[in-house]
Amino acid sequence: MNEPIFEANDLSRSFTVGSSPFRDLANHFLHDRQPTVLRAVDNVSITLAEGETLGVVGESGCGKSTLARLIAGILPVSSGERRFRGEAYESLLARKRDALKIQMVFQDPLSSLNPRLRVGEIVGEAAVLHGVVPRAKVKDYVVEILARVGLPADSVGRYPHQFSGGQRQRVGIARALAVKPQMLICDEAVAALDVSVQAQIINLLMDIKRDSGLAMIFISHDLGVIRHLCDRVAVMYLGRVVELAKTSELFASPTHPYTRMLLEGMPKISMQRRKFMPIQGEIPSPLNPPAGCHFHPRCPIATDHCREIRPELREIKPGHMHACLNIEAR
Amino acid sequence: MNIADFQDFARRFAESRSAVISLAVSVLFIVCAVFAPLLAPTDPYDLTQLQLSDALKPTGSKRMLPGEEVRANIRVDGGTASVQPASPTPTRLSIVASPCGPNCLAVGVEPPDAKLASLQVRNLPAGATVEGGRKHPIQPWWTLDNPDSNQARITSAGPLPAGLTLLAIAKSLEQETGFVFRLGTDNFGRDMLSAILYGIRISVYVGLVAAGAAMVLGTALGLLAAWRGGVADAVIMRAVDFMLGLPALLVGLAILAILGNGVSKVVLAVVIVQWSYYARTARSFAISELGKEYVEAARCLRLSPVRIMLRHVLPNCMPQIIVLFTLNIAAAISMESSLSFLGVGLPLTRPSLGMLIASGYEFIFSQKYWISIYPGIVLLVMIVAMNLLGDRLRDLNNPRLDR
Ligand SMILES: Nc1ncnc2c1ncn2[C@@H]1O[C@H](COP(=O)(O)OP(=O)(O)OP(=O)(O)O)[C@@H](O)[C@H]1O
Ligand SMILES: [Mg+2]
Repeated sequence: MNEPIFEANDLSRSFTVGSSPFRDLANHFLHDRQPTVLRAVDNVSITLAEGETLGVVGESGCGKSTLARLIAGILPVSSGERRFRGEAYESLLARKRDALKIQMVFQDPLSSLNPRLRVGEIVGEAAVLHGVVPRAKVKDYVVEILARVGLPADSVGRYPHQFSGGQRQRVGIARALAVKPQMLICDEAVAALDVSVQAQIINLLMDIKRDSGLAMIFISHDLGVIRHLCDRVAVMYLGRVVELAKTSELFASPTHPYTRMLLEGMPKISMQRRKFMPIQGEIPSPLNPPAGCHFHPRCPIATDHCREIRPELREIKPGHMHACLNIEAR
Repeated sequence: MNIADFQDFARRFAESRSAVISLAVSVLFIVCAVFAPLLAPTDPYDLTQLQLSDALKPTGSKRMLPGEEVRANIRVDGGTASVQPASPTPTRLSIVASPCGPNCLAVGVEPPDAKLASLQVRNLPAGATVEGGRKHPIQPWWTLDNPDSNQARITSAGPLPAGLTLLAIAKSLEQETGFVFRLGTDNFGRDMLSAILYGIRISVYVGLVAAGAAMVLGTALGLLAAWRGGVADAVIMRAVDFMLGLPALLVGLAILAILGNGVSKVVLAVVIVQWSYYARTARSFAISELGKEYVEAARCLRLSPVRIMLRHVLPNCMPQIIVLFTLNIAAAISMESSLSFLGVGLPLTRPSLGMLIASGYEFIFSQKYWISIYPGIVLLVMIVAMNLLGDRLRDLNNPRLDR
């Protein structure tokens, strides 16, 4: 495999829940309650090759969006390192022009567009500011980008609320494309759209990927979409990656019990889109996850072992990794 | 904003008739404020123009010139008479004297149509009399009451002695002038129309400058608190809570009691009171905006925090801040007048609308309503117009509300 475009090593991000400077001060003196720490992303290591599309799936609240924001460089890490083309983010983010190479498409098409700016400015602003295109030529440039995502030229002067959901998402994609990114992170980019519109947006993303060879991280809880779009898939559970494999391999022979349960809930008719089927057992609170393997309370093959030891992600076949203590390569 | 945008904005604005009317009224008030010195018939700040005889005159009365006293020494030498004015201050009237035949001297005033209350000639020699006059019981003084022709004729049996010096004293009646107090006068004899025009000037100035400065300061602090969070947020918001907990008028009173009165100090007091409203509003709306994905998108586009706050977050908080601004203009005007009423705001010599209302308050039950009512109407119209204008601007400012 060639040199990865992006690489994350032991990435973690915690949030302190229910803290304020005054409460912290009080706690400091009273040795009262410790503020609760929520590990939204817990020791995640992934790589992304040039031109590759990596899918990330997992239930709601498992830390997919947090991971996306860490990768986009708009959320600081608690620990771990992120590298883009071998360069650590700390130095990359200081050079804004280069940090632009990582862009993101958001879930909510309306709230991800500033309601008070016209589409022309939404798409063109950063490109002009960072010198991607000279100010004098920005109008033509924006029209060209809009044409690429399938929006008419007169969209330039309109406000986001004057568009439909699918068109808004196209504006969001145009905004990311306008600064010539090399890596695109799509955080549930189609989840808020109607089914028919979802297909259009997915086709648009695939066209863009084919034309420009963009590396992509595609986050979704729609397994059908992931299977359709991605080269490799990472499955997340409560902040941890539990299985990582090529798409075909993962769908054909999932090894981790959690992945198997996910896929069992999915109808066999390929290409049929499907949301998660409810899995037996309750999703534990991310504030107070089970010790050892987070999945053990719901796992059919859990042993005492699983309650104590945290399983690390390990390779069981070339290119196929999972975090389960009990299952070995078949 | 280019021309097409502006035309579009103006067209949408004009769809509401009440908004157009209030815009016209507000512009009128601003014109009044700017051109008050040109529009006002008198300068209400010029204390030398005030005369107590004009005090509390009703609407439409004319200014009266008070009567004056003119003195002159008249030196009679043979057939001629020379007049030497002897009044301590310059006067409108002047005394003239001329011989009117042998043994006769006419003493009169210029201009001849002035109404005199009396004309007195002193130091007449024995044997000389003033026609129609009466003599002082002891002194050689002759007085003519209400002279028809403004003239006293001195006649004597023999020729007047050479080197004779007479003293003539003319007292004129109150005189009506062409100047009309269109809105009456206050208790200092100030023309209410002029006072109201200058009062609008002060109110508009205090309202705009104080509310504007408070808006800039408070919004900046609110945005800072929202953006930095943590300790900066805690400190700023505790200061806001503290300020909001204190009664506005009391704070204003305390500040002005320390600093003394004057327009700039009133402005300062209003800013100190009002910034907290803007800070609280700006912070809460900025925090809710900062949580939206478009801010994350802007961060991902590597825009600078200052640009994100000012170009993306601030405009989305602006409608609420503008509503607050219009309300606070009215609040600033009312705070200024309250402070003036309590005697710490503006000096008495520079009346604002609020102070005029306050100063007429004690006369309103003696039917001298005009001192309070006219400034009151002006203030009311001004506040209503500004609020309607602000409402319309808020609606236009929010593209989603606009169809
Ligand atoms: N700023 C934050 N402060 C505190 N907790 C947070 C914050 N952001 C996320 N979390 C918590 O981190 C966990 C992971 O959140 P995240 O948004 O990454 O999940 P997700 O997988 O994207 O979920 P969804 O599918 O619902 O979008 C959640 O429990 C969430 O409550
Ligand atoms: Mg999410």
